[in-house]
Amino acid sequence: MTYDDYIDGKPAVITAALTGGVHGKEAHPDLPETPAEIAAAAAACEEAGASVLHLHARRDNGERAFSTERFQEIADAVREATDDAVLQHSTGGTAAPDALRHEPLRTDPAPEMASLDMGPLNRYDRLTSENTRELVSSLHAEMKERGIKPELEVFNDGHLNESLAILDELDDPPYLNFLFGGGTTSPPHPRNLVNRVEALPEGVEFNVIGFGPHQLPMTTQSLLLGGHVRVGLEDNRYYEKGELATNEQLVARAARIAEELGRPVATPDQTRKLLGLRGR
Amino acid sequence: MDETCQHLSYREEGDGKSFDTARAFCTVTESFVQPMRADVCNARYDLDPAADCEFYVDPESEAAEDEDADRGGDGAE
Ligand code: SF4
Repeated sequence: MTYDDYIDGKPAVITAALTGGVHGKEAHPDLPETPAEIAAAAAACEEAGASVLHLHARRDNGERAFSTERFQEIADAVREATDDAVLQHSTGGTAAPDALRHEPLRTDPAPEMASLDMGPLNRYDRLTSENTRELVSSLHAEMKERGIKPELEVFNDGHLNESLAILDELDDPPYLNFLFGGGTTSPPHPRNLVNRVEALPEGVEFNVIGFGPHQLPMTTQSLLLGGHVRVGLEDNRYYEKGELATNEQLVARAARIAEELGRPVATPDQTRKLLGLRGR
Repeated sequence: MDETCQHLSYREEGDGKSFDTARAFCTVTESFVQPMRADVCNARYDLDPAADCEFYVDPESEAAEDEDADRGGDGAE
């Protein structure tokens, strides 16, 4: 998780965030929403170099779904369409009741990974995703029980405090995901990522997400600092200004940059070893 | 309020877009709404369109404005 890791050519884990929970086909006509569409995008992204697939569930009309049943349908379709990639279920869900937030963890088999939002963030003008400590703890407890690796979502410095406070409770290696963008996420500037990385104790692995136009530079910087990267239409709809992207294109670009910079793209097997995952 | 927003309709076409499955459409903004906002439109999870959506307008005040417009008034007393 340092510049030395970069120099040593540590494999880079690429996560593909295919769908998300916020926008849909009204924002991007090809954003995958149905289980079949998500599975097809997952297969293309695995082929392009993604070893982790970050999944959200939607209803047939594109609206959000959190139920175990819908996650099961999507996970089954994705497992069927992919060879070996790691499935990571989102437990995020602005305004969704706490009980529903646990449901994505209850598929059979359980996902190998799940996201864990580390605190509040604002949505639109009037909504807040609360993510109380109580909810974070109960989600984490269930993840432990089911052998699911949490990816701690660090939207801002306050969330970094919250993550560092529970580091001892995490199985090795702790895996933190730094998000950069507008609103209540961290200001997307290279110096802020450097500060974050310098604040991490030995042995912590980190991943980076840059929203929108920040995806490309923050991805590149993370690779230089020995970190891992997440790309995909959940976080960024455009390949470049004015040109809509596909999930697969965004993964392929991240893979090219990693290889050019001397970071081999991690296979699913290498990802499991690096992050201490249970296996599919 | 625990009912669907009065400005919500489900449409297959609108705002220059078309879909196979009818999607949430807001008649205030005249556009399809994002999936996350559709939870507000549907008053799911205790969300309240009047309180939780910044685009919401009270249908009664809207009707009163229309009446004013019909009378040719500009609202100045
Ligand atoms: S809740 Fe807001 S966005 Fe949804 S239909 Fe009502 S006014 Fe439109």
